[in-house]
Amino acid sequence: MNLFTLALKLARREMRSGLSGFRIFLASLVLGVAAIASVGSLSQAFLTGLAEQGRVLLSGDVSVGLVHRETTPEEHAFLAKYGRVTEVISMRGMAYALKNGKTDDRQLVELKAIDNLYPLYGNVGLSPNLKLSDALKCESDICGAVAEQTLLDRLHLSRGGLMRIGTQTFRVTAVLANEPDRISGGFSLGPHVMISDAGLKRTGLVTLGSLIQYSYRVAMPSTRTPAQFRAEALKAFPDAGWEIRDRANATPGTSNFISQITMFLTLVGLTALAVGGVGAGQAISAFLDRKRNEIAILNSLGADGGLIFLAFFLQVMAIAALAVVIGLAIGAALPFLFAQFLADKLPIPADFKIYPLQLALAAMFGLLSAAAFGIPPLARAREIQPANLFRDLIARTNTRGRWPHLLAAAIAAALIVGLAFLLAPAPVFALEFLAGIAAGLIVLRLVAEALRFSLRWLPRPRSAGLRLALANLTRPGAHTVGVVTALGLGLTLLAMVALLDRTISAQVQNELPGTAPSFFFVDIQPGEAQAFDKAVTHFKSAQDYRRTPMIRGRIVALNGTPARQAKVASDAKWAISGDRGITYAATPPPGTDIAQGQWWPANYSGPTLISFDAALAQGMNLKIGDTITLNVLGRELTGRIANLRNVNFASGRQNFVLILSPGIIDKAPHSFLATVRVDPRDEEAVYRAVTDAFPNVSAVRVKDAIAQVNGLLQQLSLGVRAASLLTIFAGLLVLAGAIASSQRARLYDSTVLKVLGMTRGRIAAIYALEYGLLGLVTGILALGAGTFAASVVTKQVFQVPFVFDPQAALLTIVGGGAVTLAMGLIGSWVALAAKPSTQLRNP
Amino acid sequence: MQTRPPAIQLEDVRLNLASAAGAVNILNGVSLSVAQGETIALLGPSGSGKSSLLMVAAGLEAASAGRVTIDGTDITHMGEDDLARFRRGRIGIVFQSFHLIPTMTALENVAVPLEMLGLDDAFDRARAQLGAVGLAARTDHYPGQLSGGEQQRVALARAMAPQPKVLFADEPTGNLDGGTGAEVADLIFALHARAQTTLFLVTHEEALARRCGRIVRLKDGRIVADDLTEIGRT
Repeated sequence: MNLFTLALKLARREMRSGLSGFRIFLASLVLGVAAIASVGSLSQAFLTGLAEQGRVLLSGDVSVGLVHRETTPEEHAFLAKYGRVTEVISMRGMAYALKNGKTDDRQLVELKAIDNLYPLYGNVGLSPNLKLSDALKCESDICGAVAEQTLLDRLHLSRGGLMRIGTQTFRVTAVLANEPDRISGGFSLGPHVMISDAGLKRTGLVTLGSLIQYSYRVAMPSTRTPAQFRAEALKAFPDAGWEIRDRANATPGTSNFISQITMFLTLVGLTALAVGGVGAGQAISAFLDRKRNEIAILNSLGADGGLIFLAFFLQVMAIAALAVVIGLAIGAALPFLFAQFLADKLPIPADFKIYPLQLALAAMFGLLSAAAFGIPPLARAREIQPANLFRDLIARTNTRGRWPHLLAAAIAAALIVGLAFLLAPAPVFALEFLAGIAAGLIVLRLVAEALRFSLRWLPRPRSAGLRLALANLTRPGAHTVGVVTALGLGLTLLAMVALLDRTISAQVQNELPGTAPSFFFVDIQPGEAQAFDKAVTHFKSAQDYRRTPMIRGRIVALNGTPARQAKVASDAKWAISGDRGITYAATPPPGTDIAQGQWWPANYSGPTLISFDAALAQGMNLKIGDTITLNVLGRELTGRIANLRNVNFASGRQNFVLILSPGIIDKAPHSFLATVRVDPRDEEAVYRAVTDAFPNVSAVRVKDAIAQVNGLLQQLSLGVRAASLLTIFAGLLVLAGAIASSQRARLYDSTVLKVLGMTRGRIAAIYALEYGLLGLVTGILALGAGTFAASVVTKQVFQVPFVFDPQAALLTIVGGGAVTLAMGLIGSWVALAAKPSTQLRNP
Repeated sequence: MQTRPPAIQLEDVRLNLASAAGAVNILNGVSLSVAQGETIALLGPSGSGKSSLLMVAAGLEAASAGRVTIDGTDITHMGEDDLARFRRGRIGIVFQSFHLIPTMTALENVAVPLEMLGLDDAFDRARAQLGAVGLAARTDHYPGQLSGGEQQRVALARAMAPQPKVLFADEPTGNLDGGTGAEVADLIFALHARAQTTLFLVTHEEALARRCGRIVRLKDGRIVADDLTEIGRT
C-alpha cells in the first residue's frame, strides 16, 4: 500500500469524529470564499451585461465622437458606407420654466438633440408611451421635448407645461423614463432633456466655439465588424480626431470603474481570508493539540512524520474543500438574491448567471489560503514524539517544522499574491495592499507577542481579579496573540477606511469653499462678453471674477511624433485621449505656479508658445523647447513649450493644462469660461440675473456639483465600510473560535474558583476584565496601525493633508473593546452557569 | 555457528530532560542486555525511571548518552522518522492507558501497523489476531464501546499482529481491576509463548514480575538488582 493510500485511509477514519474542532476553520474559509465568489460573480454579471448590451448602450455598433464640429460630407459618406447613421448632439444648457409667458424657475440641463433614426438599437422609454418623433415634433413656434421627472420637479412644471431653452419654447410632452444610451454619456451635471435636431437649431445655442459634442452612431450589417471600421477609419481620416467606441467597449468608464471596485472588494475578501486564516491556523493548531495522543500512538506504531503529515493534511484539505463548496454555493447564489431585490433599481444592465471562472478563482484562493495557514501547524504536529504517551511533557517540543513544509506554505501564500497580482487591473495597488496586509499581520503579531511577554513579567497585581485576568491572557495555550492579530487586522482596516473617508470628505467640504468659485459660466459668446462682465461684477460681493477664452483642441503630436505613437506614461494618457480645454493669455493668470522656464512677454506676438502642465510634461517626456501639435477645430497648430506649470486640480479653480501665447489661437472662433465667487446670500440673485440676461450661457453652481460628487463619494464610502465590516466579522469568528476552544479550561477554572468560595458575579467580573483588556488593547493597536496606514495612503495616493477623526478613533477602541467583551461574556456563560457538583462528579 | 544478537542491548544509557525548573536526570547510566525470546520485568517505585527506560529501549525516546541496540541494529542516532520506520513489524507496545485510536474500530486499530507494513491481507490478519485475544465478536466496535479489559486486549492484538521481535508492555494491567488484569496478563504470556517474542514488561506488581524469567530493579534511574526468577532458572 503506498503512502498516499495509507494516509487517505487514516484521514478517512480520523474524520469520523465529524467537524467538531473544525467549525471555525470551516466558517472562516466559507466567509472568505463566499465573499470573493459573490464579488467576482456580481462584477462579471455587470461586465457581461454591459458587453451584451453594448449595442443598445451605444445605440449603434460603433460610435464616432467629435467635439465642436459636425462631420464633413466626405466623413459622413464614409460612415454611411457602413450602415445606417444617426447623429446625436449633446451639450449643456439652461432650461427656464415658462409661466404666463414669463421665465420662472431655471435649471442647468444635459441637452440631447436627435434625428428621426435615433435610437438605432433599444427603445426610449416615455411616459405616456408616445412615439418619440411625435413627442419631439415642432409645430409652429413650439417644439416638443421629453425630460426626466427631476427637471419637472425642479422647474415646478407638469407634463404639457412650457419651458424655454435658448431662444426656443418647448412643450414637455412626456417624461423621459429610459434613455438606452444614457450611461455611455458620462457624468451628468443636470437632468436630461431630449429634443429634435430641428428644435436644437431653433434654440440659437449652436454657435462656433460653443461646447458641443457630436456623436455619430452606425448600425452595421453583420458582414461588417467594428474592428474593420476602426482600421479603415484610421486609414481614411487619420487626423480627423474621431473618438471611436464600439459595442464591445460601449462604456469604458463604467467597465473600468466596475473593475477597480471589483479589485478593491476582492482584496477585502482576501483580507477576510487572511484574518480568517489566522483563525484557521489557530483552529488547526488546537485540533492537532487534541490529537497529540493519536499522533503519538500512530508514531509508536511505526507511522513516520511524512505519513502523519499527509494524513492530517488530507483531512485539513478535505474540510477546506467542503468549505470551498459551501462558500461557492453562497457566493454563486448571492448575486441572484441581489438581482431579485435590486434588479429594477440598477442603473446598468447585468446578466446574472453562474460564472465558472470567477467561482474557480474563489475556490483557488480558498484552497491556497487553507494550505498557507494550515501547513505550518501540521508541520509542527509531525514532530510530535511518542514520548507524549507516557508523561505530560516536561519539555514541550518547540519546533517550527521542517523547511520543505514551511516552503510549501510560503509558496501557497506567494501563489495567492501572484494570482491577485495577475488579476488586478492595477497590479501595483494590489501588491501594495497585500503587502500592507502582510505587514499589518506581522506587526500586530509581534506587538501581541511582546505584550503577552511583558504582561507575564509584570509584577503581580494585588487585586486577585486583575491577577487572574492577566494570568488568563498569558497562560500557555491562551489565544491572546491570535485574537489580537486577527480582530486587530479587521479593526485596522475599518479604522483606516473611516479615517480616509473623513480626510477625503474634509478635503471636499472644507478645502473648497475658501478658494473655490461659486459659479462656472460656460459658453459666453464674444459679443456678449463685456455685458456679461458687467452683469456679474455689478454684485458687490463678487470676488475673483475671471473670464477666460476657451477653445477645445486635441494634442495630435509630440515633437512631431503622432501622439498615439509617442511614449506616454499611463497616468498621462488621458491628456492625449480626447479634446482638452485650451486657453490663451498674455500674462500669467492669477495663482500661476511656474516650475520651470519663463512666461512670454506681455506684448509677445511671435510663433505660438505653450505653457504646459509640469506633471504631464514628465509623463510625456517633454521639456522646455519641445513642440506640441494641437488640432483645433480641424486645423493643426504647433507650438513650443516655453514654461512648465504646477497645476493643482484640487483647487477647484479654472485649470488649463495648455495655455497658449496669443497671436494665432485667439483668431480661432471661441467662447469664454467665467468663474466668480460671491457671498452665499447673493448666489440666487447672481444665478437669476445672469441666466435671465444670457439664456445661452450655462451656469454651473459649484455647490450643486460638489453635492453631486459628495453623494457619489458617500455611496462609495458606505460600500467600502460595509466591505471592511466583512473583515471584522472574520476577526470575530477568530475570537469565537478562541473562546470556544478555551471553554473546557474555563469550566475547570470556574469550578475550582466556585469550590474555593468565589461568587459567579466575581468570576464574571474577572472574565469581563480579561476580555475588556483584550478588546481595548486590540482597539488601541488597530487604531495605531489604521492611523499609520491612512496617513500613508492620504499622503502618497491622494496627496492631501491627513485629518485625524477622534470619533473614528473612539469607535475603533470602544467598539473593539465592547464587541470582545460581549462575545467573551456570552462565551463564558456556560462556565458561569455550570454547577460545581456536576462538574466534580463528571470532570 | 553464529550466535544471535541480543534482542535489546543498552550500554551506559543516560536520559536528561529539560524542564522549566532545570534539567532532570532520569536515567543515570543503565546497561542491560536482553536475549532473544527472554521475558524481563522492570520493577521499581514511581519516578524510578521504569517507563523512561522502556521508551529509550523501544526507540520512542532518544537517549541523551550511551548506546541502544535492538536486534543487532544500533538505533542510538536514528532520526524520528527512521525510528518510526524501524519500529514497524519489529516492536510492539502495550500501554497502561491502552492508547487506542478512538475514531477507528477495534479491527482498524489492529490493522493499522499491518497496513503500514504494506500487507494486502492486513484486515484478515487483524481479524485473526482479534480472534486470538477473544474479541472476534467485537471487531466493529469503537474503543468507546469496549470495556477497559477489552480495550487492552485490542491493544495487545495490535501490538502482536505484526509478529514483532520485542513486545514492550508498560504497566499493562495498571488500569484494570484484579480479575481483568489477570486475564490480560495470561494473554500476554500466552501470546509470548506462542510467538517466542522477547517480552519487556514494566510493572510495579511483584507477582506479575515473577511470571517473567528475569527481574531488573530500578531506583533513581539506576539498576540496583538484576536477578533470574524461578522461571528463569528453570
